[in-house]
Amino acid sequence: MTTLYLERASAVHRLNPVTKLVALLAIIAIVFAVPQWWVPLGIVVFVVVPAAVLARVGGRLLRLFLILLLPLLVVLFIVQGFFFPDGTTVLWQWGPARLTVEGLVFSLTIGSRLSALVLGSLVFVLTTHPARLMTSLTQAGMSAKIAYVISASLQIIPAFQERARSILLAQQARGLEIAGGPLRRARALLPLIAPLVLGMITDVDERSTAMEARAFGATPRPTSLTVVDDPLSERIGRWLLAATAAAVIVLVVVGVIA
Amino acid sequence: MSGSTPVVDANRTRNRIFVAAGTIVIVATYLYLILAQPAELAEGGLGTSALIALAGYLIGAGLIAAGAIHRLPTATLSLIPIAIVLNIAVGQLTAVLGLPLYLDSIGTVLVGVLAGPAAGAVTGALTNVIWGLTIGPIALPFAVTAVVIGVLAGYAARWGMFRRFYLAPVAGFVTGIVAALVSAPIAAFIFGGATGAGTGAIVAAFQAWGNSLLASTTLQGLLSDPLDKAITFTIVVIILFALPSRLRGRFPFVRQYNVFGKVAPVAPAEPAAPAEPEAPKA
Repeated sequence: MTTLYLERASAVHRLNPVTKLVALLAIIAIVFAVPQWWVPLGIVVFVVVPAAVLARVGGRLLRLFLILLLPLLVVLFIVQGFFFPDGTTVLWQWGPARLTVEGLVFSLTIGSRLSALVLGSLVFVLTTHPARLMTSLTQAGMSAKIAYVISASLQIIPAFQERARSILLAQQARGLEIAGGPLRRARALLPLIAPLVLGMITDVDERSTAMEARAFGATPRPTSLTVVDDPLSERIGRWLLAATAAAVIVLVVVGVIA
Repeated sequence: MSGSTPVVDANRTRNRIFVAAGTIVIVATYLYLILAQPAELAEGGLGTSALIALAGYLIGAGLIAAGAIHRLPTATLSLIPIAIVLNIAVGQLTAVLGLPLYLDSIGTVLVGVLAGPAAGAVTGALTNVIWGLTIGPIALPFAVTAVVIGVLAGYAARWGMFRRFYLAPVAGFVTGIVAALVSAPIAAFIFGGATGAGTGAIVAAFQAWGNSLLASTTLQGLLSDPLDKAITFTIVVIILFALPSRLRGRFPFVRQYNVFGKVAPVAPAEPAAPAEPEAPKA
């Protein structure tokens, strides 16, 4: 598996994946509904980060934050802080770049929302094993076909990367140049992709024959080998989370939170 | 849902409704964001546009994928995971080679051409889900763009754009324009124009020339997406023309719509000597 999942023994890991997914969706809905920039920041500081620490994935979350999110936030503050089209209160100006209060507030709003979205999703992915997620979603009524496609993709990735690497080495051994200008490097792509796709399409026939021989898709709701726990408390919790998110959205639309 | 009946026709109607509803939601989301946005930005805030962009696009993409996946036969389903991995592998390879392109939809286009718009839509949507699980969740809001690319690739194949070598880049260019338009509100309202260092610089330049945020991300998309998709479609057509026609002919969609133009004329033009018996229609 090449997913971001980290194996730990924690309460967050043990939660039903559907509960975590509902919590994530509720957080995202609230964060994008409320216009105040400090609400998403508060959710990150008081909900997402404590959840990561509780699940003992805080270190990895920090590293992913530095790799994935920080560059985006820096670009965001440069682009919108200095070049926000509707900025009127100019703090500092140099050529076409104008540092405006409106631009800074805008980047703060987008930046804190983006942080909540990305960090919340990361905590979900870090603490939820894909197989367990698929099982619980199928139990909740998702199509087994979707579960198959996602699980199969995750299992193929390592084998596929291995195949791609060996094709790259084989073509380099035959004199393929991957250094040089962009055009030359682009031309190098084709001898790599063509054998990959050829192999892939020949594989498909065998795979689908094997699946049909095992009656894939014949039963609308097959019995599951492993059952993910779904206690009553979590089911109630999910409804409460969904109701909270819906209430916040209604309050924003009506104009109570503005 | 627990209410699903074993009757095939009922499910078929339900799936059609899912796909139709998903399409309507996506179109309505885009139109709302384009038409209502100027008024809201003038008031000095983002309003509800970010929530509508995120929710509308995700729900629309989810509905289309859920409705489309039930139509697919097992042979197509087993093709999709490999196409998803191809998307991710070539996308990463492109980044490693340092090319100024994405090339992260080759598998999606390939499936769309070989197995039709529904298969292309599912491949696109699930690629972004896998991307979120393996590399990071940044790509997830753009799932709708991948769905649009897969659907358009399927229709391009159906309309004969892959029968001639030079038509494929044209179809790719048009697909890229639509993809740029659809993804611009996501880049603007969810990412604030900052989807990467290079794209961010271009957005900043357009804003400095006096364009609004949405106009800037649209223009930035129109600079890169049509070229990227034209190259993607070209790569796909080269790969598919290099495949033996025996392999291409395995896909019912290819035979039904005469996608490559060379395989099917065998049957109507030479009725006396059919190469192989016609497959029964699904």
